[in-house]
Amino acid sequence: MTTDLHGSGLDALSDLVSHTTTQGIPTLYAPGAGEVTAGLLFRVGRADETLPTAGITHLVEHLALHRLGLSDLHYNGTTSMTYTHFQVTGDEDEVVEYLNSVCAALRDLPLDRLETEKEILRTEAAGRGGGPDSQLPLWRYGAQGYGLTSCNELGTRTLTADQVRQWAEARFTRDNAVLWITSDHVPDGLDLTLPAGTRISAPAPTSALPVTPAYIRGDDGRVVFNAVVRRSTAAAVFADVLGRALYRDLRQEGGYSYSAEADYSPRDADFATLTGYADALPQKQDAVVGGFVDTLARLRAGRIEQAELDSARAKALKAYNTPDLSAALLPSFALSLLLGHRLLTPEQGRAELHAVTVADLREVAREAWADGLLQVPGRDADWAGFTPAPQYSEAALTGTRHQSLGDERVTLSIGTEGVSLLTPGGPVSVRYDACAAMTARPDGARSLTGNDGFSVTIEPTLFRGVTPERIAAVDAAVSAAVVVRMPARDPERIPQPPESEPEPERARQRRGQGGTAGRGWTAALWFFGVLAIAWAMLGTAVTVDETGSAHTDGARIFLFWFLELPLLWQIRAMRQRRARARADC
Amino acid sequence: MTSATSGEAGRSGTSPVPSFDPFDTLPELAPLRTAAANGDWAATRTFFTGLDSAEKVTFAADVLGDIAGVETYLEQAAADAPADPLPRTLLAERYIHLGWETRGRAPATHVSLEQFDRFHAWLRKAERILIEVCAEQPENAPAWTARLLTARGLGLGLSEARRRYDRLSSHHPHHYAAQMQLLQQVCPKWGGSWEAAHGLARECTSAAPDGSHAGALVALAHLEHWMDLDGAAHKAYLRDVSVRNDLRSAARVSVLHHDYRPGWQWIDAHSAFAMAFSLGGHFEDAAPHFAALGDRAAEFPWRYLNDPKAAFVKYRTSALATL
Repeated sequence: MTTDLHGSGLDALSDLVSHTTTQGIPTLYAPGAGEVTAGLLFRVGRADETLPTAGITHLVEHLALHRLGLSDLHYNGTTSMTYTHFQVTGDEDEVVEYLNSVCAALRDLPLDRLETEKEILRTEAAGRGGGPDSQLPLWRYGAQGYGLTSCNELGTRTLTADQVRQWAEARFTRDNAVLWITSDHVPDGLDLTLPAGTRISAPAPTSALPVTPAYIRGDDGRVVFNAVVRRSTAAAVFADVLGRALYRDLRQEGGYSYSAEADYSPRDADFATLTGYADALPQKQDAVVGGFVDTLARLRAGRIEQAELDSARAKALKAYNTPDLSAALLPSFALSLLLGHRLLTPEQGRAELHAVTVADLREVAREAWADGLLQVPGRDADWAGFTPAPQYSEAALTGTRHQSLGDERVTLSIGTEGVSLLTPGGPVSVRYDACAAMTARPDGARSLTGNDGFSVTIEPTLFRGVTPERIAAVDAAVSAAVVVRMPARDPERIPQPPESEPEPERARQRRGQGGTAGRGWTAALWFFGVLAIAWAMLGTAVTVDETGSAHTDGARIFLFWFLELPLLWQIRAMRQRRARARADC
Repeated sequence: MTSATSGEAGRSGTSPVPSFDPFDTLPELAPLRTAAANGDWAATRTFFTGLDSAEKVTFAADVLGDIAGVETYLEQAAADAPADPLPRTLLAERYIHLGWETRGRAPATHVSLEQFDRFHAWLRKAERILIEVCAEQPENAPAWTARLLTARGLGLGLSEARRRYDRLSSHHPHHYAAQMQLLQQVCPKWGGSWEAAHGLARECTSAAPDGSHAGALVALAHLEHWMDLDGAAHKAYLRDVSVRNDLRSAARVSVLHHDYRPGWQWIDAHSAFAMAFSLGGHFEDAAPHFAALGDRAAEFPWRYLNDPKAAFVKYRTSALATL
């Protein structure tokens, strides 16, 4: 029964972790103290979705847990970028009850609940702010794959029961799952029967950043940097060193920031996302940008104290000193097995930690810099060697021209290849054949988002001569598969052209001064004027999903999350969230 | 009394034409001028590594950066010794001078967009070098001082300029060249306020040991304030008794203090006091500064006057007559 797992590196862990299969699901187990904790991981997440189906994995997760809603179990469900995780803590019977219930629901989703759960997800999204880095995926990857975490869950509008069922059948299969249990045996009574399928690799990354290091402008009060680096022990240690360096340089030395931290989150089998973050008082944020740039430069220059490395190393090594080490390592092993990442024994892990040198950290710093994307408040960052991420499309598409009624310098073009918004700064275009999604309102409004993340919103009331025939031409050109029908708007919410001339301030707006908006800001700026963005405070990050409490006694279980899974705020940031108040990303 | 020749440390001050050129007023700089004229990196390096204070290194970097054409051999030196921060620091300094030459000294409203673009391009080029240099050598005084100029020219904000100064001063407290740059930044013309400008001058003066240059910042702050005023207020400002008293006490603890360490910036410091007292009509107070200067002066702040040399000679005559 264990042939599936041979060759995965598990054999080297045989002293530590037992493995078998449970109804065909690879299963890792090792005894832990106290109650049993178990997790069922599936290799499916937001990065597997498309913009019009965004949220479909989250929907499946909700539906799978619905029947447990009123139980007293301590359980949780998490939909992340590349995996979905069902977890429970309790006595053996409770664990069996939970896992059986989840799998029974996955076999036969309670699709009569679909509309209700879609409504719940929309409500949940409305109440959830984005993390400080929530726009970076869109700029890095576009409105597809790993970029979708920046986007609205459009699927909560239009997904049908068939689509959701097919998604569950294809992705929530026994061959695309790994089970872990903190017990010396697999409990009796488990029925985890799931359809057969295939292990689906994490999606290949897309790119919307032609040049790195790049920067975007973001909200006041925070500086965020991220980079995709090769997964390694040195890179994980580097993240801790970066966090300490930012804390020391920006908080302790300068007093410019309250929070300054860094994170290392595996993205797929081979790459991880490294994130650095610092907040800032409004009157200090220029110093935070400068200090952040200098901290990155210091690490890149290799001016890293041995003590900085030793502290980070000691912290990582300490995690191995836990009782029930085997149980604590289970989630990390399970995720690595799922993603196809190598499995390290504690001896190997310790040896790799001991082998990390300052020179290794400098190499990671350089790799991170070369791939960096920096989000700064207010000003440019080109002075520090960052190239502005593209604010405009490369080309304007020709078509019928419709002058903006609010700003005569802006023209909408509706053509046979796509639509463009021609602004004084440059064009923003979406080609029909590269359109990730188009939302459609009964009043004629259309919002097209390209795979590259640029979006153009057509409000017939705001442009000259956008007749129903022109809207029909757009509808005919866009693939029906990417159209997302939205409900009718309250007539008061249909935008009307401003009565007065545009204010002179706007007229002086330079390229790149889109303020807080990301891609497609131009369109949003003209249509809505002000972007209202409500970020949740970092400090309110919680580990629970909407489905129950994860405050198990298994604090030790999560020790190794630091190497293999996102930190708390990152988990939150990577979950589905409300995008900015513009278009759909 | 004989007429002092240029470069001679005479105290007569009767030479009709004062020199504002540091290569004339500070003979110790002669080897640097020769090295620069010959494009001789080895000699340049020898000169810099032989200096006995960070203050002199910063001063000499600024002086070298003002010489046309030195970027050619500095670029070569930086390419030949990529691990050595010195040629990169001096090169960045030169780029900053090139930037400011492009921009000119006029108020921003008189600078064209194209000039600003080129100005910023030079400063970005300098700043990117200096980021690396400061990362490698956090105690590099000329690099941090230069980064106060790039921060100002690129509009990186008051708090960032202050951060840069704080990073520098953690290694080199009372670094006068950097204090002069920070003072510019905190003036209203660069986004600050008079409260901040006078506050900085006071803060630096009181923090420095007696006999430091820092007191001259008090004179510079008053001169900046005077420049900014119009009409009657402009005329009256430096004549005000409280301003005069402020200048007197600042001069007493700095350039007139018996522990004063002249270094290479004594000409800058005395020039500030001489000009400030003279413009307020306090010639008796200006006299010791002119006496010290003789026929030497610093271009800054005298360039604030229409004909700096004529003004210098006129005020020196009035001041020395009180002796």
